[in-house]
Amino acid sequence: MKFNFEDHTHFNSLLHRWDVRYKIIGLFALMFAFASVDDLRLIPAILSISVLFYSLSQLPLKFLWHRLTYPGFFLLGVIGLLPFLSGDTIIFQWGILSLKLEGCQAVLLIISRFLAIFTLGLVLLGTSSTLSLIKGLRSLGLSPILTDMMLISYRYLFELGHQFQKMQRATQLRGFKPHHFSRRNLQIYSALTGSLLIRSYQQSQQVYKAMKLRGYGTLSQQRTHKKVTLDYYSAIALFITLLIATSLIGIQLFL
Amino acid sequence: MHISEGILPSKILISGYVITGVTLWYSLRQLNRQSNPSEGIPQAALLTAAFFIASGIQIPIPPASVHFVLNGLLGAVLGWYGFPAIIVGLLFQAIMFGHGGLTTLGINAVIMGIPALIAGFLFHIRHQIKFPLRKSLSLQLFGFLAGIAGVGLSALLFFSIVITNLPSTLDQQLEKTAIYGLMFAHIPLILIEGFFTAMVVSFLQRVKPEILIN
Repeated sequence: MKFNFEDHTHFNSLLHRWDVRYKIIGLFALMFAFASVDDLRLIPAILSISVLFYSLSQLPLKFLWHRLTYPGFFLLGVIGLLPFLSGDTIIFQWGILSLKLEGCQAVLLIISRFLAIFTLGLVLLGTSSTLSLIKGLRSLGLSPILTDMMLISYRYLFELGHQFQKMQRATQLRGFKPHHFSRRNLQIYSALTGSLLIRSYQQSQQVYKAMKLRGYGTLSQQRTHKKVTLDYYSAIALFITLLIATSLIGIQLFL
Repeated sequence: MHISEGILPSKILISGYVITGVTLWYSLRQLNRQSNPSEGIPQAALLTAAFFIASGIQIPIPPASVHFVLNGLLGAVLGWYGFPAIIVGLLFQAIMFGHGGLTTLGINAVIMGIPALIAGFLFHIRHQIKFPLRKSLSLQLFGFLAGIAGVGLSALLFFSIVITNLPSTLDQQLEKTAIYGLMFAHIPLILIEGFFTAMVVSFLQRVKPEILIN
């Protein structure tokens, strides 16, 4: 298992230099403001803002295109029938199929919101490493149980993925044919899944012992708090982003 | 069974985060009542990673192939850790594959996580109900119920939320028909997931029964 989502976190753009805590708050506010848009006249604005943020991040276009393909097709699968099912104003008739204006407008709105939010999400994920994002979430007050689970899962995800690939290869070398559906194959898949769960369970016991030896879960470790520093550049960037977000919501309310 | 960015209006997304926040708070409260809550974290985290990988297994069901959701199994194995585990899994899916999204994380956690908790409850209720069944058969039966409850409730929530909140003018009758139709079409997959869950819990009971005691 290898993922390329952290290939660009070492860049030195304005977005990369933005403190991850402020970035999470600012970009989430903006993404929610985009989600609140339901007037087609605001679509050029939200798309322009996301293009501006993406260009400021200096992330390559190929990265966006590569990441967009799978969720894009998935989205089309969900909304593909809307132009034919929703609305009353027929703009094109072809046999029993009729293309309706309201359905087309709904699809345009969903696709635009998806593109704008997805691009901003990619800016957030592409300009910060997963570890710094998790640490940022923790310093913003997310539960230590949740953030510890995130960090440990992330640490062992690739290792378990590699083990699982080896197990799958071993079953195939022993003659397992995964390309047809049968009760026997389902049993083999269940045994594979069960074996993976058992391996991870056994490994977790060793991990816990190692963590406990390093002082995990002790009171002194829980009481350690980092001093929150005020970074002026990040604070100004946050202020501008929040201003854009509230303006969008305000305009949407007046339209 | 993940809602993508852009489909739902912000009020639904915010409601999703609120429900997720309350459910997470309650789950963590239950976990913090344990004598040593930090002891279960590495176990839950590694099992979360394992579930994440296992949910990517492609099962060929002609004419296509499907992958299991496994939220029922996750609820059965992890109990109260199931809800945080679902949030972690959904966050990684959004980060790594763009599956789901960041603004839809809350509502997706509701769709996947609450059925996982219900499935976990259903699975563990077998200790309270005295059935005239062999222990292994009872385990398989409740594993099956947990599997179908997890994925079935998730499918019902997913279709209901998506169809009733699309920014369009679908009439109510069409919405109802679409939800019933889609649920009906998913019944075979729900049953297969139920059988698969029963098989996995049966395997775990034979090989490592302590995993099922959380």
